[in-house]
Amino acid sequence: MLALERVTKRFGGLTAVREVSLEVGAGELLGIIGPNGAGKTTLFNVIAGAQRPEEGRVRFEGRDVTGLAPHAICRLGLTRTFQIVKPFGNLSVLDNVTIGSLTKVPSVRAARVDAERVIDTCGLTPYARARARALPIGLRKRLEVARALATRPRLLLLDEVMAGLNPGELAGMVALVRRLHEEGLTLIVIEHVMAAMMRLARRIAVLHHGELIAQGPPAQVAADRRVIDAYLGEEFVLAEA
Amino acid sequence: MRLRLPRRRGALAFFLAAAVAPLVVRDQFFLDGLILVLLWGALSSAWNVAAGYGGQVSLGHAAFFGIGAYAAALLSARFGQSPWLGMLLGVLLSIGAGLIIGYLSNRLRGPYFALSTIAFSQVLLIVASRWRGFTAGSEGIPVPFRPGFATLGLSHAAWAYLALGVAVLYFAVQVVLERSRLGYQLAGVREDEDAAEALGIASRRLKVLAIAVSAALTSICGTLWAQYVGFVDPFYVFSVDLSVRFALMSIIGGIGTALGPFLGSVLITSLETYLRATFSGMKTGFAGIYLVIYGAMLVLVVRFLPEGLVGLAARLRTRVTGPPATAAP
Repeated sequence: MLALERVTKRFGGLTAVREVSLEVGAGELLGIIGPNGAGKTTLFNVIAGAQRPEEGRVRFEGRDVTGLAPHAICRLGLTRTFQIVKPFGNLSVLDNVTIGSLTKVPSVRAARVDAERVIDTCGLTPYARARARALPIGLRKRLEVARALATRPRLLLLDEVMAGLNPGELAGMVALVRRLHEEGLTLIVIEHVMAAMMRLARRIAVLHHGELIAQGPPAQVAADRRVIDAYLGEEFVLAEA
Repeated sequence: MRLRLPRRRGALAFFLAAAVAPLVVRDQFFLDGLILVLLWGALSSAWNVAAGYGGQVSLGHAAFFGIGAYAAALLSARFGQSPWLGMLLGVLLSIGAGLIIGYLSNRLRGPYFALSTIAFSQVLLIVASRWRGFTAGSEGIPVPFRPGFATLGLSHAAWAYLALGVAVLYFAVQVVLERSRLGYQLAGVREDEDAAEALGIASRRLKVLAIAVSAALTSICGTLWAQYVGFVDPFYVFSVDLSVRFALMSIIGGIGTALGPFLGSVLITSLETYLRATFSGMKTGFAGIYLVIYGAMLVLVVRFLPEGLVGLAARLRTRVTGPPATAAP
């Protein structure tokens, strides 16, 4: 469904993403992990069109989308969320999600109905009339997902939607992501919460200094020496074992 | 999107009062005030379309006002054409100017965008004030008065209804925009451009469109104003003061609401009329007092009434009747 071919993104002398090749099949849930500054979000920016790679191609459903504008890529069915959530602060939750729905549902009336359905899926119904700005971070993360879902993506990129959540919120988010996955949505998930990642992903890719240093099933990745050195540390392996 | 019903009732009362007033009061001074309140309200609404709904806060909208004023004035003074034709020409030129400024400043956000719009209006000021052979330069041009609707030589009462028609039309444009797909998407761009773009909204195209529409609406009122007042002075019609005024009325009345610009206009226009009547006889020391008062009002509104008079009305109503039931879609 998504194929990255030797994608490189540089900022001046810094290579944020170096020759990353990666494939994601339809219906898959791919996890991406790596230390801070490894290039995970930059990779999302490149996939979603926010940044143009210096080298390499991004193909979505066989189509070369490298260098397309973010809105064009979204309309093709590839939507991303932002690590630092970007709610439309002065608008209600319902209006936020309606704006997402309007991308595929042109009528405002129908889009509002559609948005209510998505809000329900994400468990935001009690907050539908609340101003997005007034929500606590846990709910704003969920709004970020709801708004992206409303654009009816076939591939959804989630950038640390579990960071900063309390245990209850985390469980809810894991359940939501799992449910979306089970319903057939293809997902790429960036996450630091390893426990959640181990449970959700069938395959994990590890970025370090912009390079893809490992990919495979969670257990295999967690046992990989380079991954342990670069990211996980000894302790985690012991805890998991 | 919120509190729609009560707000519309206020609008109905406002426009009805404006419609009945000329039937009851025949006083020229009052009618003049009414016409100006409606025209300025419409102008601020035009600004509001781009700035309030789309977040493209321009401080150069006088450019479009001036284009509208000059197009009609020059066409009738130099070529003897109908000001309606001049209005059309002004609209076309303003849309063109709006597209150019929208395209050029597309990547600029917030204050940088506002600065670029100021620069644009100043360029037009220089052109209009230096091109003596055609625009009569800094002397300005008088608009010939020829009685009749085709030439916009109208009585005060007729002007009042023409201004009312324009005001209602602009109000309706805002209401329709608010409820439309375009309005939602513009609100998204206003709130967070990157997020809007990631959700499939072609933000740049939308911004340019909003500016072009806003420019056209501003230009129409520029023409009407020049025909009503009868004189076009480049240093007035292209002034930053004027641009600030469009913004100020919307901000004080309630930015991003359909009625806000009109409420702001009632306050600012009547205040200005009052100040002019009170202080005009005094020496120059008081000539700039309106600037002090505008500034103070702006500070107070931004600090205590960030949603303007419309927000204040909603707040008072909530206090009296309790929180509003869920807003109608």
